Amino acid sequence: MASPHNDVGLQPERTLLAWRRTLLSMLAVSSLFLRWVPYHGAFAFGLIGVALLAVAAIWLGQWRRYRISAQGINDNRTPAAMGEVLTLSLTCAALGALGLYVVLRF
Amino acid sequence: MDSKPTPKPRSKRALDLLGGGDEPDPRFTLANERTFLAWIRTALALMAGGIAVEAFTADVFLPELRKTLAIALLVLGMLISASACLRWLNVERAMRQRSPLPLPLLVPLLSIGGALVTAVLIAFVALRQA
Repeated sequence: MASPHNDVGLQPERTLLAWRRTLLSMLAVSSLFLRWVPYHGAFAFGLIGVALLAVAAIWLGQWRRYRISAQGINDNRTPAAMGEVLTLSLTCAALGALGLYVVLRF
Repeated sequence: MDSKPTPKPRSKRALDLLGGGDEPDPRFTLANERTFLAWIRTALALMAGGIAVEAFTADVFLPELRKTLAIALLVLGMLISASACLRWLNVERAMRQRSPLPLPLLVPLLSIGGALVTAVLIAFVALRQA
């Protein structure tokens, strides 16, 4: 199968894998919240749900994103991943904030 | 390169945030993205540490130490994820303007934050021994 781009540095692939690793780390972090389920029930599930939704949205978006990056290498210009970056940062900050809330409140 | 759709125009808001300039080399854009992701993973690791300290060390640490460490790690993780996002945006802007890249404020933030957390841990352990 022909590669969709001609970059020998495989930048689109490396970027795709970097996103995957990051999303997997986020899943690992959110699964730590399972420890709080016996104490904070619905709240802990809510936290995990938020993280899962964000991870699923970005993960599914990566198929499209990879094609855009590969095309971007060919066109010599690629759009910055504004939406994904903002979503990921916000989810990450929200997980921290809600974790902080639990630590301070209980 | 056989089928070459014209690059889609950016949304107005994205252009406002990026602040004009010329499109940088796509490989630089992707590299900037991967650096951002590496910082996010650092932030996630710190937050995982904070949550783990709070959730799993009830039998090991005093309650005050547990709380202090958890709060410090979570705050550090949040600061790093927020600054990673800002830095990604600033680097993207600088590349579009062909201007020098901004200095990473994140590096001293992480080093000093990490050192402080460790100092607190050492102080607590030392005081407990005494």
